[in-house]
Amino acid sequence: MLAHALLGGVIYGCYFALVGLGLNLVFGVMRIVNLAHGDVLMLGAYAAFFLFHLFGLSPFIAAPVVIVGFFLLGLPFYYLVVPRLALAKDAEMLSLILFFGIQQIIEALAAIAFGSSERSIPGRVLGIGPFHLLGETLSRAWVIGGAIAAAAVLALYLYLYHTRSGLLTRAVMASREEALASGIDMHRISARAFAIGLALAGLAGVFAPFMLGSVTPAMGTSVNLAAFAVIIVGSLGNPLGTVAGGLIYGVGLLLMQTYASAWADLLPNLLLIGVLLVRPTGLLGRRVRLA
Amino acid sequence: MSPEPPPLLAVDRLVKRFGGFRALDGVSFSLKAGEVLGLVGPNGSGKTTCINTISGLYPPDGGAVRFAGERLGGLAPHRRARLGINRTFQSPRPFASLTVRQNVALAAAYGRRHGAGGTVSLAALLAMLELDHLADRRAEDLNSAQQKQLDLARALATGPRLLLVDELAAGLNPAELTRMAERLAALARDGMALLVVEHLLSFLDRLTDRVIVMNAGREIFEGTLAAATREPEVVRVFLGSDHAG
Repeated sequence: MLAHALLGGVIYGCYFALVGLGLNLVFGVMRIVNLAHGDVLMLGAYAAFFLFHLFGLSPFIAAPVVIVGFFLLGLPFYYLVVPRLALAKDAEMLSLILFFGIQQIIEALAAIAFGSSERSIPGRVLGIGPFHLLGETLSRAWVIGGAIAAAAVLALYLYLYHTRSGLLTRAVMASREEALASGIDMHRISARAFAIGLALAGLAGVFAPFMLGSVTPAMGTSVNLAAFAVIIVGSLGNPLGTVAGGLIYGVGLLLMQTYASAWADLLPNLLLIGVLLVRPTGLLGRRVRLA
Repeated sequence: MSPEPPPLLAVDRLVKRFGGFRALDGVSFSLKAGEVLGLVGPNGSGKTTCINTISGLYPPDGGAVRFAGERLGGLAPHRRARLGINRTFQSPRPFASLTVRQNVALAAAYGRRHGAGGTVSLAALLAMLELDHLADRRAEDLNSAQQKQLDLARALATGPRLLLVDELAAGLNPAELTRMAERLAALARDGMALLVVEHLLSFLDRLTDRVIVMNAGREIFEGTLAAATREPEVVRVFLGSDHAG
């Protein structure tokens, strides 16, 4: 039972790393708290649901569609909102309020458009039969969701550390003022990071029906709580610190669901409070926060 | 006879407000190519705000900044860098996880002034600032004096025509101070205009005898450093009672 919980926890951890990844990237680059992150994920989940039920498209097809679509929507949305926000005296606080409002609007519109009933995609679309790994029998949908999340994390790592654009992104994360003085077009880089953040949330949404259960317009709030726990446990502002946070969250969640299921819903709150009290910079600390 | 060219930098009644506080309250001055102007004043007098506004980090609330005769308006900081305006930071925050060489190369690649020739190679620039032996070290491993050198190297890598220098001398030892003053003087001799914010007047004295003294966002004196030390208002707001007699 312990081995199953640990293995499932690692798989879930990869998925929760993906859930927090976009939020942390956006915060790291822009110092903006996107409180609508969970609702973007919810929209990704509905996109996958409708692409499957209306057009018969599997999540494997929905994933690239959502990634490209959300990325392309993210670029104009950035230029519409963020440059003005950046001029404000207290941009971080204002971003909290603004994105809280955006979250409320998305949730309300989703409830009107999609109704409040729970939606799902049958797990068999990701393959039939259980998956055997290290002597344990696991849900195939879990394993596929976790593997795709791990691939997305790896892709972001390769982007940040092995591309020119990623180098500029890390420069902006380290110091916006020095980046500007180095001739780097901060808004161009930030817009790209913002759009990637939305695309990652959308991708997490595509696999949410399999990893988180059913999809509802209100799911964004609980997703946000999990995402915040993950990035604060890892390291706020460092996208790759999210991986550590995700793994701790995933293993913690599965252990609690296995041994103390009644308490499992408290996990994000417990992790948040525990880390903020003991090590407020996150487990990976300041060094990695500087990217 | 051709008319005299416009000054490289002309700051005209510049105003910058933060809420109700006027950090810059109608500051005006100009600077020619190859000229060094010192900007001194007590903490909070608006010196760094002046640099931040000229370099484009802060949009001005009034007045104008002209560079080579062109009004800069709301031109973004990275575009000003490419135009030939660069600056150093009072507390540099180099790209911590990148090496010294990468920090400077990034500025050379993205901030290089349009039309700047291949004046100095990166290797020569690093050697000039005594960073050549640290080129492959991560910027976060440098001490504060070395980070200041790196910050200057980063700014110079863009080939600026105007360099805004924000308290570069703080934290340097006497030998480093002498070498830094010589370097800045050499840059001015080569035609670069320098606006130097500095608390350490002995350092400034080696670079220029033209200073502006600021207090509460306004210029209260313009002239030589020696004359400034005899000006009663300057003595009162900036130099303190030790210099009053």
